[in-house]
Amino acid sequence: MKEIHIDSKVESIPEVMNFVRAELEALGCSGQVKAQFKMAVDELFGNICLYAYGEGTGPVSVSVGMEGDPPSAVIVFCDSGSPYNPLEADIPDIELDIEDRPVGGLGIFLIREMMDSMSYEYKDGCNVLKLTKDINHQL
Amino acid sequence: MDLELTAKRDGKEFTISLKGEVNTLTGPKLKELIEAELPDTDILVLDFEGCDFVSSAGLRILVNAFKVLKKRGGQMKLINIGNNFREVLNITGLDTVFGIT
Repeated sequence: MKEIHIDSKVESIPEVMNFVRAELEALGCSGQVKAQFKMAVDELFGNICLYAYGEGTGPVSVSVGMEGDPPSAVIVFCDSGSPYNPLEADIPDIELDIEDRPVGGLGIFLIREMMDSMSYEYKDGCNVLKLTKDINHQL
Repeated sequence: MDLELTAKRDGKEFTISLKGEVNTLTGPKLKELIEAELPDTDILVLDFEGCDFVSSAGLRILVNAFKVLKKRGGQMKLINIGNNFREVLNITGLDTVFGIT
């Protein structure tokens, strides 16, 4: 796994994007899979920047690698902010009329639909969020 | 990647052409422009010719604008949608809500 350590600032998003894209390219991911991980980085790293450390900022690590057979790309986000499990967020009912739909919650829903797996644990004072996706997957 | 917005007004129709990406970082720029122009707008046209990445931060902005317009009988049109953005709209069911061409 390759890892980047960075501050939880929205200004850091492009640097995280560039790191993730370069690593996924090196792993041979399809263009679609790269686009889906990009969406995930914007949502999940963005959420960490906005909420994990309240008004302040703190350290975040983002790791990218490969595991399993068939090979899956793996991304792990770690922050030591407030414990928060995004997988417990309410799943929006996309069948509801637009007037009745909550505006939030779409991001996590999208990522869950796009990824093969998403897991969360609170370990050693850190929020650890892990995403995997078959590198050759076509939706 | 940054987001460039080019705006054009024709009476009550307001068109924004997007170039770049709508994400957590660039979203506020689009939000500010839409919010400033929405009171004078009945038809909001968003041209995605130069933009095929819209994260959930961008979707929230679009949903909010759509709700405001719909409430007073206005409409929102998304044109020149690329494949990545279309996939996002399909997954979230917003493809059947927004006017897409």
